[in-house]
Amino acid sequence: MTGNAVTGDTGASDAGTSGTVAGDVAGFAPLGDSALMVSTPLARELLLSCQAAPLSGVLEAVPALNVVTLLFSPLETTATELQDAVQARLAALSPLPVGEGRALHLPVRFGGPDLGWCADFTGQSVDRFVDELCSLPLTVAFLGYTPGFAFLTGLPAHLQMPRLRAPRERVPAGSVALGGPWAGVYPTETPGGWRIVGSTDIKLFDLARADPVWWHPGDGVRFSRD
Amino acid sequence: MVEVLRPGLQSTLQDAGRRVRALGIPSGGAADSVALRLANALVGNAADAAALEITLSGPKLRFRERAVVALCGAPFQMKLEGLDVPLNRALTVQAGETLDIGGTSLGMRAMLALRGGLNGDVVFGSRSTDLRSGFGGRQGRTIQKGDELTLLPSEPRRVIRASLHPSLLTSVANHQVLRVLATAEAAPALLADLTRRAFTVSTQADRMGVRLQQNLSAPHDPARVSLPNVTGMVQLPPDGRPILLLPDSGTHGGYPTPLVVARVDLPRLAQLRPGGTVQFKLVNAGQATAALREAEKTLRQTELTLQWLHAQGA
Repeated sequence: MTGNAVTGDTGASDAGTSGTVAGDVAGFAPLGDSALMVSTPLARELLLSCQAAPLSGVLEAVPALNVVTLLFSPLETTATELQDAVQARLAALSPLPVGEGRALHLPVRFGGPDLGWCADFTGQSVDRFVDELCSLPLTVAFLGYTPGFAFLTGLPAHLQMPRLRAPRERVPAGSVALGGPWAGVYPTETPGGWRIVGSTDIKLFDLARADPVWWHPGDGVRFSRD
Repeated sequence: MVEVLRPGLQSTLQDAGRRVRALGIPSGGAADSVALRLANALVGNAADAAALEITLSGPKLRFRERAVVALCGAPFQMKLEGLDVPLNRALTVQAGETLDIGGTSLGMRAMLALRGGLNGDVVFGSRSTDLRSGFGGRQGRTIQKGDELTLLPSEPRRVIRASLHPSLLTSVANHQVLRVLATAEAAPALLADLTRRAFTVSTQADRMGVRLQQNLSAPHDPARVSLPNVTGMVQLPPDGRPILLLPDSGTHGGYPTPLVVARVDLPRLAQLRPGGTVQFKLVNAGQATAALREAEKTLRQTELTLQWLHAQGA
């Protein structure tokens, strides 16, 4: 009964593009009584700023694409107060340069259960499809879902795969997969709805390392044939 | 040192959890945070000391040293050396004695606090066990038969005699009304669908989430992006059976999340038991915060009173 019951969902069940924000105006949406979702093109800058100098009453800042969700204590602040504080903070921020992360190589054994389907979908041979995937400069947009899971951006439109109609209940750890605008690697066995094209032996989350998480937002990533 | 003679269904070390969701790491921590705070306060621990979270069927433990313990949460049966002992108060267990925690007919979980707090693997500032990723607590797993649990050192203090008024405890009634707040994803028809009837809790209920049995027509939005989750969110996957997120749920998700359970009711969410029923009651942020303030005030007063009693050596 307990122990392995609920699938939850993966970030890995998502598709679609960004675009929660029009122009450069921040959008605010409360999530319950102790979280505020901030949509802004300055999400990365806001996250770094909140990590360096936390806003009053904020316990955690969690990023997504063009989004920072602030988890706060309603005993210490309110969504309205917080919104004002974020507005003021955003007004003082300017875009940071991109592409300052490390250049990482991820060796992949291509041959996942959906590899043939994906190649067909793009109208290419498997070989050509893999070549193209390995040529892409991908970027870690943000971390989330499970420890070590990263949302990688940089797939051109014709390599963006529709998700599976019904997610697999178990995707093996190390699976390299494509879903909507994203590429990603499942660090641990979880359910997942993305198309699996291969697997890797790189440990994306390892508490034995000084820095347990293998990659960080802003890092460049390139797949290679293992 | 405490020897595990029988582990129980799912017993894990949990404390107040961790705050590294930005790295994709779930919060973890005691699902019923009120039970953790009350049990710790009874034995004279800091509010966030690690305790044993037990689920539906408890462990049997042999104490190799004298200890002071308290069990708070769902009304589990508990026997010390074969004799019934009360919950919600501090008890002395002598070296060599056996504490046997049975089952509960109501609710799901309780916290067994031990004076000093349980020792365990600290990961990102917390001893909480993350079963999915396998870290924290006892090597990232449930306790097992033969495990030897160790306690952190504590100052010698007398055992206080106070017991908690039942109204302080998290409600474990079989029918729960949870206060919820609507999100921007709650279209009027969906909101009406979610709030007009009771749902049954399915057998899929763990530390990641509680799945409800009935389904409703889920809005399918393949273009929805992955967004940060929060504990207490009601998530609606394509099959239309709502999932209520608990502390071990993933940090981000792509499914619509039309409701979030008010923070004050998260402990009650953690006590939802398969077969029980739950109904959602809409509140606004002001009402949710007022209720949280009230609950926090009572809890804080209890903690301060128990601290004072400990200081008096009463």
